Amino acid sequence: MSEEALIGLFVATVQFGTLVFLAALGELIAERAGVLNLGVEGMMAMGAVSGFMVGLETGSPWAAFFAAAAVGALVGGFHALVSVVLGADQVVSGLALTIGGLGLAAYVGRNVVGERPETLFTDLGIAGLADIPWIGEIFFDQPPVVYLAVLLGFSVWFVLARTRLGLAIRAAGESAPTADTAGHSVMALRSGAVMVGGAFAGAAGSFLSLYMAPGWVEGMVAGRGWIAVALVIFGAWRPGRLALGALLFGFTLALQPRLQSFDIELLGVEVNRISPALLGILPFVLTVVVLVIISWRYRHRPSVAPAALGLPYRREER
Amino acid sequence: MRKPALVRRDRVLPATQALGFFVGIVVALLLGAVLLIVSDHSPAEVYERMFDSALRGTDSLSRTLGRATPLALTGLSVAVAGSMGLWNIGAEGQMMAGAIVATGVAMMADGLSGPLLIALMMAAGVAGGMLLMLGPALARSHLRVSEIITTLMLVYVAIRVVEWLETGPWKDPDSFGFAVIEPVPEQAALPSLFGRANIGMLIALGLLIVFSVAVSRTAWGYELRLAGSSPDTARYAGVSLRRKVLVALILSGGIAGLAGAVQLTGSATRLESGLSNGYGFAGIIVAALALMRPSGVAVAAFVFGAVQVGGQSIQTLGVSSAIADILQAMILFGALVAVVLFNYRIRWTGPAREQQADERLGSAITQEAADV
Repeated sequence: MSEEALIGLFVATVQFGTLVFLAALGELIAERAGVLNLGVEGMMAMGAVSGFMVGLETGSPWAAFFAAAAVGALVGGFHALVSVVLGADQVVSGLALTIGGLGLAAYVGRNVVGERPETLFTDLGIAGLADIPWIGEIFFDQPPVVYLAVLLGFSVWFVLARTRLGLAIRAAGESAPTADTAGHSVMALRSGAVMVGGAFAGAAGSFLSLYMAPGWVEGMVAGRGWIAVALVIFGAWRPGRLALGALLFGFTLALQPRLQSFDIELLGVEVNRISPALLGILPFVLTVVVLVIISWRYRHRPSVAPAALGLPYRREER
Repeated sequence: MRKPALVRRDRVLPATQALGFFVGIVVALLLGAVLLIVSDHSPAEVYERMFDSALRGTDSLSRTLGRATPLALTGLSVAVAGSMGLWNIGAEGQMMAGAIVATGVAMMADGLSGPLLIALMMAAGVAGGMLLMLGPALARSHLRVSEIITTLMLVYVAIRVVEWLETGPWKDPDSFGFAVIEPVPEQAALPSLFGRANIGMLIALGLLIVFSVAVSRTAWGYELRLAGSSPDTARYAGVSLRRKVLVALILSGGIAGLAGAVQLTGSATRLESGLSNGYGFAGIIVAALALMRPSGVAVAAFVFGAVQVGGQSIQTLGVSSAIADILQAMILFGALVAVVLFNYRIRWTGPAREQQADERLGSAITQEAADV
């Protein structure tokens, strides 16, 4: 394996990691407020298609990025309306959001399949640092979304762990009646968290359609939204561990299409002779294996999931 | 001023759910009409075409029933897990696993007579679905790993395994270079009842009845539901939760696997990566609308079969088939909202009552003070 290929692998690791990190960070916010949103896949698809279309229209990747975030927030708002305000089952509503979101994205984007926007996100060579061998290319010559994701990660950690708002959000997720008694509106906190989470997922979708795989085709999110949902569990609902997990999953996602070209032997099997379809199962199998391993390690400890996750809150039924 | 407050009724009645389902369909059709108008189609024309192709005449009806068959099976699969509060999101993958094993059996035993081969393939389908569910079921029952994530992840695995089989090991040598798997033997085709409706429909109907009785009328079913609704009570009553979780999930996987075998021998001619065709995911909506009740699954599967057949037919009018997916999700959302709303009644509360209470309290305090 050449040095160039290896660097390429790590560059892609950071980018795939950013993709799932952004979406998972949004889901983390919603889940810390007590709302499970299984609609990430659908929100990402909607973000991908709307971001791509705005990018085509305006030629500005940033306009596209924020438009996708807005659409994601809107789609998330739907889940908030149904599951938080009306108190319907969160699992059902989220799944409907994924199925409906994928359908709507396919419908909205049916006429832009195969088109290419003129301007995409470009790599941001950070002066001085980008020239360092290896490290420079991997960490300091990436598209701006990567750095924005890092910034957002720190912000989310800070808000959740160090501010009153964060305390209120966590209270809504651990014990809604307590948050209510403390004078917070559980409905507003949860709806807000779900919408912000949706914005993150939508933005992640546009990173996919405007940088990683420029263009729009139906089914392009390809399960990454679901990996993001699993990542939140892996990250034990903490932004820091989420980032580590994102790099791990990013590595598998980046590795899978490259394994074909690697001239290496693994357990007596020449890797480049394995079918690409079979290599494609790697990220999904890894997700399951990782979830099983961490559950095995923590099997005797009480769950770290937010205590009120998935439970609708109605004041009358306290 | 008095303020309205929403008060929830205690439980969802089947009649309320049915009404909600109906409202959901109406809402979905209305929103779909908006979408159609926006994209320059006439809703009346599109809906008429959908209705004609799905429900008018025996030929149309047979198409709808043909589609409803796998939907009823995947719906039942999700409902069996759902009756104890578990979510099998991966019926799509278990369908594939069932079809894979059934195809393998057909390849080994293609000399057998029709009925025998079909029976073997059905059994193989069940085994395949159960096999794919084994991991998630054990992880859920012994380690509390979310079955939602694991079952879903295995969908991608199963579909890619089929793609691999198509391009490699099972590639049909007589396919002129196309990456397709050899068709299943002719004698394995499920006999038709009328038009596109085949024996698979009777299998689905039979299973729906069996599970309807088993879940709501037997001690086994009672324990299953109890384990779902109040695990502590169930444990106290001596029910092994682990075993119930395992059994419910593995049965669920087996039924979805059977759906794969039925699809393979019923309407598909060969195993291909598009075989599951979204039936597994639609089964989730079907089961959710049916409140996890097998009888409801039959109705919802029929309606969704009609929506899907209709959705396909309108492509000739230049309408994207994605419309059908959107309608399905909209029906679920509409029903979800409608059912919640129907289960509330408005109670007026406000100062009027509170004031009276305050006054009573006030006079009591004065009285107390006077007594001292």
